[in-house]
Amino acid sequence: MVFNTGAALLDAIVLAVVSHDAEGTYGYKITQDVRQAIDISESTLYPVLRRLQKDGCLETYDMAYAGRNRRYYRITDAGTAQLNLYMSEWKNYSSKISKLFEGSEEK
Amino acid sequence: MDRLEKLLWNISDSEREEALQYYNDYFDDAGEENEAKVIEELVSPEQVAQKIKAGLSDSASEFSEQGYRDTRFEQKNGEVCVEKPGEGAGPEGKKETNFWKILAIALLCILLLPVLLPVAGGILIAVLGIAAGILALVLGIGISGFVILAAGILTLGIGIAQAFVTPAVGIALAGTGCLVAAVGILVSVLVVWCCIKIVPGLLRGIVRLIRYPFRKAGAKR
Repeated sequence: MVFNTGAALLDAIVLAVVSHDAEGTYGYKITQDVRQAIDISESTLYPVLRRLQKDGCLETYDMAYAGRNRRYYRITDAGTAQLNLYMSEWKNYSSKISKLFEGSEEK
Repeated sequence: MDRLEKLLWNISDSEREEALQYYNDYFDDAGEENEAKVIEELVSPEQVAQKIKAGLSDSASEFSEQGYRDTRFEQKNGEVCVEKPGEGAGPEGKKETNFWKILAIALLCILLLPVLLPVAGGILIAVLGIAAGILALVLGIGISGFVILAAGILTLGIGIAQAFVTPAVGIALAGTGCLVAAVGILVSVLVVWCCIKIVPGLLRGIVRLIRYPFRKAGAKR
């Protein structure tokens, strides 16, 4: 990808991905979903998830799956609030950038 | 996974378990057919461990900035990955030595406590004992001086009274009284002079002696 994904944007993407599953989702699936949008190394995602969990944006729980315990991630209220903030900021930011791009094309 | 577990020896148990659980899940969910691909993408257990520790040691924003930078490097080419472990080791290593230093000092304090405490107590008691001894000595000499003076004056009085009855004995007694009174005055004056001249200096010296280690410790900090 040409553009860099900043820390806040990465947080926002991860929060958005996790929020899509009300029941919660797990590490591998999160990675695959995030990769639909940005190219991210697999080892990068764990620290992000762990930090979001420590910040209280995500919570984890274990559920049995295929004869083993799988760690699930679920968004918290604080995480939802944070995601909403990110989304409104993103809307603001991306629309401004788009405006600039379109403006330069017209000239 | 075993190597990752060993590489994570220096983080807390709960953090290690969390990380291992995550990557265990990850491999299980990826399935056997994707295992080789996942291993390739993770590069090496060393790098994974590095990232986990980097995520723990740095404050949130700082790390994520670095984490995001890492991904960018990885995207551009694989080479830059080599630079990253060194980059990550810098602040982390520093923090570690800091931690060990503090731990060593704390341990030293704890170990030395049984020695330091009695030694400090002993010195304090010794100083107090010497001070009390000097005070008692001065007080004793002073009191004895006054007592001698009083005895001298008393003897002089008895001598004068005796002189009316038996002049020879009376005069001798009065003379002795004068002599004793003179000695008393001498001792008293000497002691009073000592008190004025020496005791304040002595006290100041003791106070300075007690304060000395504290001031030194304060200056060090």
